[in-house]
Amino acid sequence: MYDPSFFEWLTTSPWANAMNGPEWAFPVVQSVHFIGFAFSIGTIAIVDLRLLGWGMRHQSAAELAAALNRWTLVGFALMLITGPLMFSADAVTYHNNASFRFKMTVLLLAFLFHFTLHRRATRSGVLPLAAKFAGGLSLLLWIAVVAGGRMIAFV
Amino acid sequence: MSMHALLEWIESTDLSTAIREGALYYPIIGGVHLLGIALFGGMVLATDFRLLGWAMPRIPVSDIVRQLQNWKRAGFVVLTSSGLLLAWAEPQKLYRSPAFWVKMALLALVGVHALVFRARVYGNADKLDVAVTTEARLAAALSLLLWAGLIVSGRLIAYDA
Repeated sequence: MYDPSFFEWLTTSPWANAMNGPEWAFPVVQSVHFIGFAFSIGTIAIVDLRLLGWGMRHQSAAELAAALNRWTLVGFALMLITGPLMFSADAVTYHNNASFRFKMTVLLLAFLFHFTLHRRATRSGVLPLAAKFAGGLSLLLWIAVVAGGRMIAFV
Repeated sequence: MSMHALLEWIESTDLSTAIREGALYYPIIGGVHLLGIALFGGMVLATDFRLLGWAMPRIPVSDIVRQLQNWKRAGFVVLTSSGLLLAWAEPQKLYRSPAFWVKMALLALVGVHALVFRARVYGNADKLDVAVTTEARLAAALSLLLWAGLIVSGRLIAYDA
């Protein structure tokens, strides 16, 4: 499964060269990454606040989730394009970075949770306690993803 | 006190030294700042997209503006206080960074935006439930541009050596 040559090859790929070329390439792609997670995590957080009963109580969680879903997915798409671009620029280093591995693990859990139990919790007829649990866990998972991402540059 | 002396004094404070040299303070405060972008930024985005008619078209504007207001205020406080702490850690570097000054100029424009649009758009949401005015759309579009500009300029600060 583990193949170091794959990561070495990634760093020599045309898109990695583009990322490592002009000085502004990396920060600009990183900014788009931030904008992407503001879209996705921001919209998810609005639904989570509703699940927790902390905000947006004039609307149901189902209504909010349906109305915001498209923009959550746009955010995911932006993150999933810019993330791998940044990874390619220095693939071997990131692959060996403990924070990066933590982030990928939590990200996988966050995605799995988002598309399964979290989605179910936004439907009507869910026990209030289950809705609160889903909202709280979702917020925690996404906070851990952001925190793990921030730490990549510091370990 | 000259600007140079002021910046040197800031860097000599215990707080500045601790954030700059402690292993964890800087990434943790940076992480809080980033979370502020995700949560607060997401709410600004949701409000502006609603005004532009791009998101949640069936939910009344007044519901979104009012119910997110306190969360946005809290987010703004988190962003500015974490940002201030990050700036406190290395004021001399920031003083020389063009991206930092671009970001400060954009922040000033956020203030101008509030002065111009607050009362007639965000404080007048009931009227917008009937029909979103051109002025409100303009406010939302400008707000989004400022928002994106703040993120990009903020990120570029790290690359101004």
